[in-house]
Amino acid sequence: MVGDEHVSMIPAAHTKVWNSEVNGQPQEVLAPSNAVLLDVLRDKVGCLGVKRGCDMGTCGCCAVMVDGQPRLSCLTMAQDVQGSTITTVEGLADGAHLAPIQQCFAEHGGSQCGFCTPGFLISSQALLDKNPNPTDAEISTAIEGNLCRCTGYQQIIQSIQAAAEIHRGDASPAKPASSAHSDPHPSGPN
Amino acid sequence: MTDGYVQQPGSNTDVRVDGKRVAGKIKFNPPGSGGSRPEMADRDMDFIPEVEGGNESQPAGQHLHDKYRTGTSVGKRTPLVDGNAKVTGQAWYGDDVRLPNEIIGRIVRSPHHYAKVKSIDTSKAEALPGVLAVSTGADAPQRFGVLPVTKDEHAMAVEKVRHVGDLVACVAAIDEPTAREAAALIEVEYEVLDAVHDPKKGLLDVDDPIHWRGQYHIGSTNVQKRVFQEFGDRSKLEQARATHHGKWKFMGVNHGFTEPHAVVAHWDSNGRLQLYTPQQVPHYAHRALATVLDVPMHQVNVIRTFVGGGFGGKSDPFPHEMCAAILARKAGRPVRITFDREEVFWVNRGRHPSHIEVQMFADEDARISGFEIDALIDGGGFASFGHVTSYYNGVLATAPYELGSFHYTGARVWTNKPASGAMRGHGAVNTRCAIEVGMDDLAEKLQVDPIDLRLANLLPPHSKTITGFRITSNGMRQALERVREGSQWDSKFRKLPLGKGIGIGCGFFISGSGLPIHWDPNKFPHATVHIQIDMDGGVTVHTGAADIGQGSTTAIAQVVAEVLALPLEMIHVRSHESDTSPVDLGSYSSRVTFMNANAAISAALEIREQLVDAASGILDMPAEYLILNDRRIYSKRDPAIGVSYLEALHKSQEDKGALIASGAYRTPPMGGVHKGAAAGLAPAYSFSAYVAEVDVDVETGLIKCTDVWAAHDCGKALNPLAVEGQIIGSCHMGLGQVLSEQMVYGRTGHLQNPNLLDYKIPSVHEMPNVTPIIIESCDPEGPFGAKEAGEGPLLPILPAVVNAVYDAIGIRINDLPLTPDKVWAAIAKKMKREDIAEAQDLPTPRLDFSELQQKIVQRSSQHGGRDSRRQRSEDTDPYINGVLFGFDPTVPPEDQDGDWKIAVRPTSEQLEGLGLAGSAWTKIEQRKMEDGK
Repeated sequence: MVGDEHVSMIPAAHTKVWNSEVNGQPQEVLAPSNAVLLDVLRDKVGCLGVKRGCDMGTCGCCAVMVDGQPRLSCLTMAQDVQGSTITTVEGLADGAHLAPIQQCFAEHGGSQCGFCTPGFLISSQALLDKNPNPTDAEISTAIEGNLCRCTGYQQIIQSIQAAAEIHRGDASPAKPASSAHSDPHPSGPN
Repeated sequence: MTDGYVQQPGSNTDVRVDGKRVAGKIKFNPPGSGGSRPEMADRDMDFIPEVEGGNESQPAGQHLHDKYRTGTSVGKRTPLVDGNAKVTGQAWYGDDVRLPNEIIGRIVRSPHHYAKVKSIDTSKAEALPGVLAVSTGADAPQRFGVLPVTKDEHAMAVEKVRHVGDLVACVAAIDEPTAREAAALIEVEYEVLDAVHDPKKGLLDVDDPIHWRGQYHIGSTNVQKRVFQEFGDRSKLEQARATHHGKWKFMGVNHGFTEPHAVVAHWDSNGRLQLYTPQQVPHYAHRALATVLDVPMHQVNVIRTFVGGGFGGKSDPFPHEMCAAILARKAGRPVRITFDREEVFWVNRGRHPSHIEVQMFADEDARISGFEIDALIDGGGFASFGHVTSYYNGVLATAPYELGSFHYTGARVWTNKPASGAMRGHGAVNTRCAIEVGMDDLAEKLQVDPIDLRLANLLPPHSKTITGFRITSNGMRQALERVREGSQWDSKFRKLPLGKGIGIGCGFFISGSGLPIHWDPNKFPHATVHIQIDMDGGVTVHTGAADIGQGSTTAIAQVVAEVLALPLEMIHVRSHESDTSPVDLGSYSSRVTFMNANAAISAALEIREQLVDAASGILDMPAEYLILNDRRIYSKRDPAIGVSYLEALHKSQEDKGALIASGAYRTPPMGGVHKGAAAGLAPAYSFSAYVAEVDVDVETGLIKCTDVWAAHDCGKALNPLAVEGQIIGSCHMGLGQVLSEQMVYGRTGHLQNPNLLDYKIPSVHEMPNVTPIIIESCDPEGPFGAKEAGEGPLLPILPAVVNAVYDAIGIRINDLPLTPDKVWAAIAKKMKREDIAEAQDLPTPRLDFSELQQKIVQRSSQHGGRDSRRQRSEDTDPYINGVLFGFDPTVPPEDQDGDWKIAVRPTSEQLEGLGLAGSAWTKIEQRKMEDGK
């Protein structure tokens, strides 16, 4: 920060035990009592997929689900969500298998540089959990708090619509373009 | 969800203790055993060019890479190869690098616009428990800068601070609170100097210029660079039938990437620096680090993390990278520095705030008899890429139109603001906006359709611009025709009701800079790629190309996969570390696809040759009878006679082990000999045309862009999915600049909106519906015909929107962004001037064609035939700018006409009449002064 104003940082706030369920696992960490959820998740729990973009709730990169609701973790005091169930981008996949929303973002160009992607995934998954049949306008409303500088949002909306189709059961997930581990030794034409 | 979503093949049914699904085991299949896809796939004839017997049409002619097309990957919509890392949160950006024992660095920044640093007292900070290192400018006296000709930066202030937020000192401590506290304890004594904020004042002589360049300093002004260029015959301008005069003001804009800068520096146990940074241009950072830290380059390993958006804003070597390295060396522990969003604005390097004046002339035949451009650009506190920007503001306006004359004066001044630098569409965006709006105005004055006016004045493919740029492929005409058709232009233009408007804009941009920044006598290539294949068959591609989200890693993997006919999953691109990556100049000037993919193709061709030779030996069949397809090499006549890729590989590895090949790319020699001839030179140029439709609320001045038809000529879309993403993303960024984004400096020169709440990046609600249209003009030198698609698509959106606003309300506003307050003020002014009581009664412009319309339609249809002939022709006749004005294309125009001039300095008679930026030429360089200084 620039200027003379300074809020004394030391002594730091006393630490408190913080516990919640993060991505299906109980977590118990020591964190400063005034810590925001973003810092606890990144620095204490180790969920580095949660991104810090602006520190003031304007970019949406830090969105996580708290008890199923999308929240900006940079504006959420960790102590306020003590004991809740938190899902970050790392918890969206079904084990080793990508969730439809993840697969569709990758396939439809919903992610370019990828920094805003975790926040978008959380916002859109929260939407699809409630509404598997969203209109483009409803999608826009759901992701209006997320800034993306690369895609111009259009391919993000397409990704979410594609995932919604899978959620509704209208479409089966696209097969990968080629097998992930092709044998380099194929036989000739059959 | 029975199949799909397979991260790794294998069981879909096994679950973990938490109920989630387990990854399957990867089976390793010994050669010949079958495997997951035991049979070769058919050749994908839809992606093999006509000339090779496939179904892919080639309206723009053949390409020298056609015979290496295998139908594997090029031209197919391909998800990014690193996409899974990004959607799972595993992609590691700058701040995600966490090394054991790390400490946190903070930077002390100047609170003054301009001041001498008289003393720095670090003792209190050093005494604070938990502080491990403190550093000031005295620790790093060497200068650096991205351009070798303008090295004017230090890691931290050495003598002066030059803008609010300039670096003064830095500290490293065990945690962030301690580091912040220590930063506050550093006491700096300043002597405040008179600051310059208005770029116009930067042209004046002052007592204490922001930088001093010794004998090359221009007077005692703050002019960092001045440019004068005059080409062609200006004597005809007085007989112009229509003229346009536009005086523009462009606010500075920031890249607004979502990832703030972050850096981790670590001196390893052997004393080598390992520096992790989200850099677009790791190589220049590498050079600068070695200079500033005074270590040889081979003792520095620059590790590019994932880059959370660049757009030009992460392409300078940055002082905070030096600070982290200095702190880490002092503390003996890894240091991580992460910026607040505010600090991103202090380091800036965004688009230059600019004053641009254009005068444009059209003659009685609706030919463009001249462009006169004067651009004063505000460089802020440092040079950055400004030397180049100063040229680009003029020279990138010399196409796509054929000009009778071109006159450009440009100046870049230092002011006490955060430095401006390169941003997507570097240097070309603002001038392009001004001249495209000028074209619209000229069309109105000539009473012709603006698209037809453009179509009748285009340079053809394989031609030379007035300043000597070599244009090869050129899809401008198709781009204009496609957006005209797509937008139903003819039924809308000048026919829509008040408040609704439609507008056109074009773009022209370089596809790679013709000369490297470090003008190397050793003729190093621009890009080098190494390919290595060991017995397992996996192809490792080493490249220094920096993937900043644009998909360069994917493009490189695609071209290698295409040449070797292997699935994309067998290509592994390693591009993060300078230790293992051959030098690539980085992701700037839209060079990566063109240069790096060309280098990758040449390396892959070497590998291909070895594989085909081996197959030819095994099969006892001449190499030219063999084709490659999906992991096999076989006879053209009988696919059953062949060998697998792995068999051929193992055969060619006999006695030598891994196959290794290196490929490189250098630009061909080109360009004129005048001073500045190299600026704007490129091996290829991209062209684009956009039509935008807007709604303007005449009661509030609020503009909403509703639809955009965006045609971009990228030569050949290697990956249409990524090209469309670039086009739509460019629309977003350009719309921000034209409608809402601006860096607001208050009366005292202080930046008032260094955050993403007040700096207004368009959200999803502001985005129009964009219809991307890809034009493929097949560039003869591009990889498989490709050119750039990352920056050029940004240019046309600004003028298209401004022209559409005029179509909607009949008012031209030359002051971006077009925020509602400005638009409403302009509406109110017009209502007052024309005595209109209700905004709803504003007149809208209408078009009655003059006799010229028919003439230019006829001319453009003739040119259409000419262009399609020239596009396909293998060896085209010469065509120089000037043919439209009756010149012989085989002789330089200056030899044909005594009035045709080429000048890079004003004559003494001209000095009086020059514009704002041109007035920089009235000052004399120190070395030419009699008394010196």
